[in-house]
Amino acid sequence: MKTLSKNTTAGAPGRQGRMADPLGANSEIGRKLKQYYDDLVHDEVPDRFAQLLSQLEQAEAAQDKD
Amino acid sequence: MAVSSGFKDDLLKAIPSLRAFAVSLSQNVDKADDLVQETLVKAWDKHESFQPGTNLKAWLFTILRNEFYSQMRKRGREVQDSDGLMTARLAVHPAQHGQLDLGDFRDALERLPEDQREAIILIGASGFSYEEAAEICGCAIGTIKSRVSRARSRLQEILQISGDEDFGPDAISTQVMTSPVD
Repeated sequence: MKTLSKNTTAGAPGRQGRMADPLGANSEIGRKLKQYYDDLVHDEVPDRFAQLLSQLEQAEAAQDKD
Repeated sequence: MAVSSGFKDDLLKAIPSLRAFAVSLSQNVDKADDLVQETLVKAWDKHESFQPGTNLKAWLFTILRNEFYSQMRKRGREVQDSDGLMTARLAVHPAQHGQLDLGDFRDALERLPEDQREAIILIGASGFSYEEAAEICGCAIGTIKSRVSRARSRLQEILQISGDEDFGPDAISTQVMTSPVD
């Protein structure tokens, strides 16, 4: 547990950069976390979402005419 | 008031991050896509409650997160409370030669309780500040900090990483094999 103690002490709220460091670029967990997430972000987005938004837009346009 | 086309464009732009967050939360692509769909519909309906100039992404993440937990409750599944939960017992095989496999990491992440997983994702991957993450999760900043810290140490335990620097064969600690589970 001693490896954690230096990072678990809460810093001043304004010092996020310091607090975020345990998950920063020099941490294996931080790197993997970003890799995991970036893979998901770059996943191809299904068309259904753009279609959904267009439908919502059209439905609203139709409603406004009433 | 009509939804502006700018709002629609902003929603479109936010979809990849929303999906990433949804998959991280639900650990399932189909469920994640349903969550994103529900979030977009809700965001559209409530667009007037969004204050232009504030963080749209945080607003959307909040909606998605609420939807996730309300669906979990509907399915009758208890929301996991990380206190007293023991995920660390089942350690995956040790990382070899300092290379942590992404698949192993994904498995480890899946074993975290939801509250810890969402906290470490919001802070470590989605780029939110502790303040924003606290707002999204509806809890105190200190709670987010402690969840992130517990998530991190849990991941280290499962993946058998001893520290965050100089990761390499020598840095793999054998003590996690024998240390008692808290």
